[in-house]
Amino acid sequence: MRNIFTTVVLLLSAVLLSSGCTKKQDVNEKVLNLVSPAEIKGYDPIQADDLYSGREISKIYEGLLQYHWLKMPYELVPNLAESMPEISKDGITYTFKIRKGVKFQDDAAFPGGKGRELTAQDFVYSIKRLADSKNQATGWWVLDGKLAGLNEWREKNGKLPASNYDEEVEGIKALDNYTLQFKLAKKFPQFMYSLAMPFTYVVAKEVVAKYGKEFINHPVGTGPYVLPIFDQGKKITYTKNPTFREKLYPSDASPELKHLLGDAGKRLPLVDKVVVHVMKETQPAWLKLNKGEIDYYSVPKDNFASAIKDNKLTPDLAKKGFILEIAPALDVTYTAFNFENKLFHNKKLRQAMYLAFDEKKSNELFYNNTAFPAQSIIPPGIAGNIKDYLNPYKGLKLEEAKKMLAEAGYPEGKGLPELKYDIPDSTVSRQSGEFFQQQMAQIGVKIKIVTSPWPEFQAKVKKKAVEIYGLAWGADYPDAENFLQLFYGPNKSPGANGSNYDNPEFNKQFEDAVVMQDSPERTAKYEKLNKFLAEEVVAMFGVHRQSYILEHGWLKNYHPTDLHHDAVQYLNIDTAKKAELLKNF
Amino acid sequence: MNMYAYIIRRLLYVIPVLLGVCLVIFVLFNLVAPDPAFILLGKHATQQQIAELHHELGMDKPFFVQYLDTVKTAFTFDFGYSWASKQNIWQMIKAGAGPSLSVTGPLFVISNIVAISIALLVAFYRGKFIDKFFLILSIAGMSIPSLAVVLFGQWFFAFKLGWFEISGYENGFPDFIPYVILPVILYVFISFGGDTRFYRTVILDEAYQDYVRTARSKGLSELKVMFKHVLKNSMIPILTQIIIQIPYLILGLIFAESFFSIPGLGAMTINAINNSDFPVIKAMTILSAVAFILFGVITDVLYTVVDPRMKLK
Repeated sequence: MRNIFTTVVLLLSAVLLSSGCTKKQDVNEKVLNLVSPAEIKGYDPIQADDLYSGREISKIYEGLLQYHWLKMPYELVPNLAESMPEISKDGITYTFKIRKGVKFQDDAAFPGGKGRELTAQDFVYSIKRLADSKNQATGWWVLDGKLAGLNEWREKNGKLPASNYDEEVEGIKALDNYTLQFKLAKKFPQFMYSLAMPFTYVVAKEVVAKYGKEFINHPVGTGPYVLPIFDQGKKITYTKNPTFREKLYPSDASPELKHLLGDAGKRLPLVDKVVVHVMKETQPAWLKLNKGEIDYYSVPKDNFASAIKDNKLTPDLAKKGFILEIAPALDVTYTAFNFENKLFHNKKLRQAMYLAFDEKKSNELFYNNTAFPAQSIIPPGIAGNIKDYLNPYKGLKLEEAKKMLAEAGYPEGKGLPELKYDIPDSTVSRQSGEFFQQQMAQIGVKIKIVTSPWPEFQAKVKKKAVEIYGLAWGADYPDAENFLQLFYGPNKSPGANGSNYDNPEFNKQFEDAVVMQDSPERTAKYEKLNKFLAEEVVAMFGVHRQSYILEHGWLKNYHPTDLHHDAVQYLNIDTAKKAELLKNF
Repeated sequence: MNMYAYIIRRLLYVIPVLLGVCLVIFVLFNLVAPDPAFILLGKHATQQQIAELHHELGMDKPFFVQYLDTVKTAFTFDFGYSWASKQNIWQMIKAGAGPSLSVTGPLFVISNIVAISIALLVAFYRGKFIDKFFLILSIAGMSIPSLAVVLFGQWFFAFKLGWFEISGYENGFPDFIPYVILPVILYVFISFGGDTRFYRTVILDEAYQDYVRTARSKGLSELKVMFKHVLKNSMIPILTQIIIQIPYLILGLIFAESFFSIPGLGAMTINAINNSDFPVIKAMTILSAVAFILFGVITDVLYTVVDPRMKLK
């Protein structure tokens, strides 16, 4: 018995010794270690409706266009397209030349396991796949009603047992192997942005056919990295695509990004391997960053005070070579009114509520005073945002708010029913709900907080079953249309206009503006619409948030960005510096 | 009663239990859970897309037909595909079972060995310093929230001292070992208090029985009395306590898997709940129900082995 016990103890000790309690990092290997704070839904471009899945998909798949890595404001440049498209004078027809010699990654779906050349037909197939109602694509909205004949194709084929991908659609045609033509149903210059979004990335028909339902877990694209299979694990390891075309690091940059030109002209991607750690909890990710096991991470709310003082890194972190990146996000937080409820047609009531809200205190409590107060819906960095504009109804002006409430017909809140404020059931949302309740109580407006899990909250908004609710909107593309459409009548719930605001005059002006090409005239129109929404107080606009990101000194070429899903190919690791800096850890 | 007949009879109980489980999960999914269409289709979903997805998922069928589909799944174990990840659910379970068991397996063995050994020790020295020392330690273990233990453990042992990995997981033996040591140690501490107090009470209950006094009066050594008589006769509640833990081994540790980024079944179940992924929720609930019934039968059979006075009826 004693012998058996001794043997077991010895065996266990041997296993522990051989495996060790920790793994050592190989600092000479060019590996990027990144964090995804949410689960990845899979690798089907047409389902990439969340930021994190979009980022992973963009390591493997590519689109016709992309955003220039070193240009701000965002600028579209060709990716799989050889050049920017030729646009007809009426703004309806877009003709692209496809880059020659681009190969799909090697996979068993192709004859002999060797990836074949990309052609214009692949784009036609991929766009139809996005439109095919059988695929339930979350990205269909980007092309819904945009391309001539595509909605009709979708409707007709939705009724058939199998969709006919060979049927010609007027709006998307392969003129030859390397020429692709889009024909819009009506003028819509924002269409170009959709060609840089993951939804329209190109996939190969053979791969979709081979893997069927599980295509989502077998990514095969033309991009810089390969992932043989996605197993829904917590660690995703990509390796360099050996057949990736010659794509070079950009050689020009906006003035504020010129310092990132060190790798100009080098062949992409710059690192051999990318490891993405799926970590929902912030504490382990923060500890890993501080141990040098991940390369950059957003500063968690609870660690903010210990890491940043007066918008600068604490000396401890600075000594370890950390760099703080602060970047405004293209977003807006807002408290929306549901205009289906006639009560909110009373403009003075909305204005009174906005005037009673202390946005400075809110910024301090919920954003560590790091966010920009949102004077209107369009964030800075997007044409249509009015520089130095101050919304007359924003900011705590209690006496004015009380007066306005009386003018609205509810002196000291008398006669006003208790209003329901819907929020998701997270701790921070609850706290912000309670803060809102306190603020409104100052003028006698009674608020009842209603919390629901996020999906149920979304469902309530879509079903118009809310009165007031808090939400944030992040840009899908850098155009004011993406924000203004949140109040466009035809987009009412279950569309993106969860406020159900429907003003014929605003709708008309919006329709006129969005079909214009980018120009000072269009910007003026956007500004007018933006100001109109702000002063109508169609919602109580909160803040435009900022990202506070800590990166290690050995990480090269990084800058925070909302829309560069494909950023990883440009990032680099200075291995010598990493070895040196790690000595301080 | 013949043991085999008993086992067969108990296994037949699976049928009404599964019907009940199906009814409960079906009602919960349809009445309480949020509509998966809003999660699966994203923020731009239109009413038409929602209706199409409901049709695709069979959510527009009459309730009775949907319930029958759930029952069919429960009895055929054909769980189909996840709505969210589109993966075959059996493959997802196979992939998650290994990581879950690599934590829960050692945790189960070590925590029970530690708790029973210490319970025997403190029962042996009841009222003495060692008993009081472990009493305080047990109460501390039970009082400190598990979140605090995990946060402190990760920060102190993994980050400050650098003894263990902070989080993560590698598939395959022995690669996973560095990643599971810390969660196992922390969870042994978390479960230590409750388990030790329970086993101590059970052992002390037995230690005051007449036959123990007789054994002592016969001149048997305390060690022999404790191990040969007291422990053996305390086995019924100990076995129950141990075997009831086994289904949880399969389900994984939901909280630990999230904090230590272990791709196990606990994390999978939580994701499924967050995404209203009904096929995965259904699969995990049905498997848990079956596991509880099976291990209940095993416990009953083992009772007769450790205590021949017990009869199966």
